[in-house]
Amino acid sequence: MFLTRSEYDRGVNTFSPEGRLFQVEYAIEAIKLGSTTVGIKTPEGVVLGVEKRVQSPLLESNSIEKIMEIDAHLGCAMSGLTADARTMIDHARVTAQNHAFTYDERIKVESVTQAVCDLALRFGESVHDEEAMMSRPFGVALLIAGIDELGPQLFHTDPSGTFIRYEAKAIGSGSEAAQGELQDKWHKQMTLKEAQILALRVLKQVMEEKLDQHNVQLAQVTPSKGFEILDEVGLKAIIEEM
Amino acid sequence: MVSLAQQQPIQQSFNPYTENGGTILAVSGADFSVIAGDTRQSEGYNIQTRYAPKVFKLTDKAVLAVNGFAADGNMFVKKVKQRLEWYRHAHAKDMPIRSIARLIQTMLYARRFFPYYVYNILGGIEEDGTGAVYSFDPVGSYEREACRAAGAAQSLVQPFLDNQIYFKNQTPAPGTSFPQHLPLQTVLALVIDSFTGATERHIEVGDGLEMYVVLSRGSTALQSLQSIRGVQEITATNDGERVFVIRKELKKD
Amino acid sequence: MNSFAQRFSSSGPIAQLAKARGTLADDDDDFSDAVWGSEAGFGNVAKGIPTFTVPSIPDPTSFLQLHTDDHADPSCRIKIQHGTTTLAFRFKGGVIVAVDSRATAGSYIASGTVKKVIEINPYLLGTMAGGAADCQYWETYLGMHCRLHELRNKERISVSAASKFLSNLVYSYKGMGLSMGTMICGWDKTGPAIFYVDSDGTRLKGDLFSVGSGSTFAYGVLDQGYHWDLTDAEAQELGRRSIYAAGHRDAFSGNTVNLYHVKENGWEFIGNYDVNALHYDGPGDVAGSPGHGYGYSVRTEGISSANPPTSSA
Repeated sequence: MFLTRSEYDRGVNTFSPEGRLFQVEYAIEAIKLGSTTVGIKTPEGVVLGVEKRVQSPLLESNSIEKIMEIDAHLGCAMSGLTADARTMIDHARVTAQNHAFTYDERIKVESVTQAVCDLALRFGESVHDEEAMMSRPFGVALLIAGIDELGPQLFHTDPSGTFIRYEAKAIGSGSEAAQGELQDKWHKQMTLKEAQILALRVLKQVMEEKLDQHNVQLAQVTPSKGFEILDEVGLKAIIEEM
Repeated sequence: MVSLAQQQPIQQSFNPYTENGGTILAVSGADFSVIAGDTRQSEGYNIQTRYAPKVFKLTDKAVLAVNGFAADGNMFVKKVKQRLEWYRHAHAKDMPIRSIARLIQTMLYARRFFPYYVYNILGGIEEDGTGAVYSFDPVGSYEREACRAAGAAQSLVQPFLDNQIYFKNQTPAPGTSFPQHLPLQTVLALVIDSFTGATERHIEVGDGLEMYVVLSRGSTALQSLQSIRGVQEITATNDGERVFVIRKELKKD
Repeated sequence: MNSFAQRFSSSGPIAQLAKARGTLADDDDDFSDAVWGSEAGFGNVAKGIPTFTVPSIPDPTSFLQLHTDDHADPSCRIKIQHGTTTLAFRFKGGVIVAVDSRATAGSYIASGTVKKVIEINPYLLGTMAGGAADCQYWETYLGMHCRLHELRNKERISVSAASKFLSNLVYSYKGMGLSMGTMICGWDKTGPAIFYVDSDGTRLKGDLFSVGSGSTFAYGVLDQGYHWDLTDAEAQELGRRSIYAAGHRDAFSGNTVNLYHVKENGWEFIGNYDVNALHYDGPGDVAGSPGHGYGYSVRTEGISSANPPTSSA
């Protein structure tokens, strides 16, 4: 793609003659620099797993936050420019709460994903009397996991504002290898336990460091307990099992 | 003669409201809900029309009755329907009745400083298949109840319903107890009696009666309903809740 | 919250209130462009904060009063539900919250089954006195913001912060006709807490409050029976007995008593008691029950100078 680079890659709201928006494409590239993140859907719930890059022995790994709660029935894992994700997740949280306030029900997973993607495209020049908005596309991809009346669901969103539902999805630097592994190992009747172990195995394969409870994080959304991030004790037990 | 000095400037206060009479009521059963209203519309002692509906089907599981100022009421129903359609486009499903109830609260409260002069009663079927009635005040406070009357003859009809549906001030015969839920036939009879009674004693009630019946999926009340003369089904979808309307004449004097 | 995120989330609450109130517009304008999308008409909260339609006349407040204030003019058209007795007190075992269930519109009893305790979330309760819709709406709205606080700060909001949010909120509408007198009750890091918040902007921390038309009657019973070391059973009985007294003597209060107990792990609904049944038979077989009716005729039955009460009475 760098061959066709031209002055069209500077404006965020100018198509190139070939019909491309380079800044959006570059934003998608930025995700490939991010740490690997996987999501796996099972009939019992959805599992999210992330790699935390512990770049220094002095770094306190529990301060790295790559999985966040949107609401009791919705979780989100990120890869890319994680600072951008905070804006998007706050938008998702507000949308979920507004929905609960207006309709006295939990928002659907797809609806909250749609709301995040609406935000993803609100870059460039401002419209109407709104203040200046985000000047560039968000450089982050999200895996949104949740449960609603349609059962467990996993959505992937990217900086172009596209969202797609997956049974299992990997994003970030190791995503190609990880996605291949998921394709081989994922099956329809997976248990939650199997999904947790698969998520860790996939991460282990693509990680440079040795996987332990400090440099990965697992979270899940289940019908009974909703969203929860597994603590280091629980995580350690699963790592020992794999 | 009045001297010029004594003449005060006349202040015209902004009064966008009027009262159009009529009465609405709703009763919920175990797996059905009845929402009814008369069709007379009046202003003061003038009857403007003998057929102005006050009860509206929103979806196959929700019916809304509005009473008070007819212009506000019609506009409000229109806006609720608009919001329901937007919701359908955004979330790919019909809005559940408890959500409609909350939506109506937020819509009424948005006009807290310029209220709709409307008393709303929402009836229908809850997601768990039970009959539901929600009642609202003009600025949106709401509550789920088993039955509720509103409008001109509220104070005539509600005590009757309290007695016949909640069994207020009644003592069961020794060794028996009052039923939790009444069958559809009994409820329809009570609704008809409520309106004929209100027509007798209230000048703003009469002309026609519209009773909407919402049945939950597979409700056993179906047979007793189909035997009623003049019942008309207005369900829009298959294999879900079913909505019927029964129209009756009330006295026209 | 950083201002950048807030702009996107469109959730900036207080700062934008003035702006929202400035838009007198017709409610069609309240919808965002995303109305067809996922936000599909959050209606008046589409922009994160509620917006309200105000009549475009010189004095909207007196307009509202003209049509809704049934104290000033009993024949006014729009009768907003009023009248209440609510109470809450703090003691060593937590917070007791007790309320009646009557709603009146003028002299008509509009409902005898009103829920005047608003369950904001599993560890916060709010009470309802004044405008039913004002309390219901704003306390639900408060619940939404408490949840957002929890998500953003990974910590439950304190009772103090929650009540301050509410009081700031209603203060920004001061003079526009809101009517609410509420007690925000809960248990946080500081222990059991009660804050009284009303639509004038008052916010008070305290051990014992009663609000509403029947509050004087409730205070009478409450004050003579209250002390910090009440047992759970005694405290619950005191709450029940106080609301009964108000239901008995205040025409605008009555029907039933709803009793809640806030403990360390959140609130618990204790029960619903018919005021009439309390008068004749008492609360029945519950903790703290005296075993007979609260009415004094029951206590003096058959007693005369010829037949004086026994010493145990």
